[in-house]
Amino acid sequence: MSLRARVAQRGMDPRTPSALETGRADLQAHRAAEAGAAGASGVAAGAVPAGGGLTGLRRAAAVAWKDLLLEWRRRETVAAMVFLACLTAVLLGFAFGGRGEVAPAVLWVALVLGAVLGVSRLTVAEAEQGTLEALLLYPGAREHLFWGKWAALTGLLTALAAVLLPLVAVLFGVAAGPRWPLLAGTVLLGIVGLAAVGTLFGALALHVRGRELLVPLLLLPLALPVLLAGIRLTEAILGTGRVGPWPAVLAVFDILFLLVAPILFELVVEEV
Amino acid sequence: MRLVGLAAVAALVAGLSLALWASPPDAFQGDYVRLMYVHVPSAWVAYLAVGTAAVASLLYLWRRRPAYDHVAQGAAELAVLFTGLALATGMIWGRPVWGVWWTWDARLVSTAILFLIYVGCLLVRGLAADRERGARLAAVVALVGALDVPIIHFSVLWFRTLHQTASITRREVSMAPAMLAALLVNLVAFALLFLYLVALRARLARLEAERAEAALEPLPR
Repeated sequence: MSLRARVAQRGMDPRTPSALETGRADLQAHRAAEAGAAGASGVAAGAVPAGGGLTGLRRAAAVAWKDLLLEWRRRETVAAMVFLACLTAVLLGFAFGGRGEVAPAVLWVALVLGAVLGVSRLTVAEAEQGTLEALLLYPGAREHLFWGKWAALTGLLTALAAVLLPLVAVLFGVAAGPRWPLLAGTVLLGIVGLAAVGTLFGALALHVRGRELLVPLLLLPLALPVLLAGIRLTEAILGTGRVGPWPAVLAVFDILFLLVAPILFELVVEEV
Repeated sequence: MRLVGLAAVAALVAGLSLALWASPPDAFQGDYVRLMYVHVPSAWVAYLAVGTAAVASLLYLWRRRPAYDHVAQGAAELAVLFTGLALATGMIWGRPVWGVWWTWDARLVSTAILFLIYVGCLLVRGLAADRERGARLAAVVALVGALDVPIIHFSVLWFRTLHQTASITRREVSMAPAMLAALLVNLVAFALLFLYLVALRARLARLEAERAEAALEPLPR
């Protein structure tokens, strides 16, 4: 049974789901699967039917689906991220006089600042609603939890970029023209790396006082290579700069943190 | 350990006297060049401290022996101290020689970023719920920070140099032997000082941990 069906059956208002509810659904689904009741209930939000053991990919997909579903119902985090990013773009644009050549810098600064707002939300919401324990009760490696959270964060940031890119293009009168797939690819590469570091620090923020306050302080200095590489690549795509070594910088950053962050994530979330 | 401390003091005295009296003033910079004997060793020791913190953090996350954590804590604090010192002396040196307090030079920016990352590392430890968790989280930050340093350094370097010609390049320094000797003595002195301070700080952290445990003991009676 899918979560949606479950919610409908109980007559709950589907617009106000609780993460607790989803977490319990996850746990029940998982227990059912463990007991060998194959096919009795869908895993998590019904993304995939349970047939025996859960593969890592399906676990990660279930976590990501749950997070994105919750976010889709409320749209709180993404709205705040988009608002802050747009505000940053407008303020910086006004301060710099809206010249086209600052557009890449404004785009990336706004993107990174908007991302900071959303990074800790996914994990902190779990802790606030008391569902983190349920997630951590799953047997097996926590690496899949990381990948699920990472995929959800990547989705959020992609949504942010999808709003921000046209806005910056309009505000600063620049256009990527036929090279827009390159620009989208660059932004996506940046987002992938940001999400990897962000997921790690979002989990880290759970265990310190003041939670979200610490995330910008940790994330912004570390994210500097993404910011710089993104700015230069965007300039190159808009025809005002050279490509140089920047694709390699982005790729190295992404690969390094996609390899390291899942390992460190397990150390960070252990024994809540 | 006391020997290391005494050696550090002796080397510092020797380095200071060499720097202030024995070495000649620079042909272009005059006496300002003497700041180099503090600035360059600070920067080198800052990198040494970052490396030590990263290795100790890795060992701690792997083996979970508290001793590694105490070293990591000391090294992270010293990393903040020496990057701060390098930045401050660099600014003081830059003002009379370059005419500006600050320039967006790659080395300056990456040192400043390194300073911020390790301040974050100390913050995480201080704000964590308990000692063991603080140790674990600070180790993660120290490790991630150290891994990111090369990428940050090269991205900052290329960001400036590939776009516009660097406005200020450091003068090629082919040093007089007396200056080189003074610099090397000061390097050794700072390295010894670092060793001594790390050892002291690690000992202090161990004593603090023991005391915290001792304070907990009478309770379950």
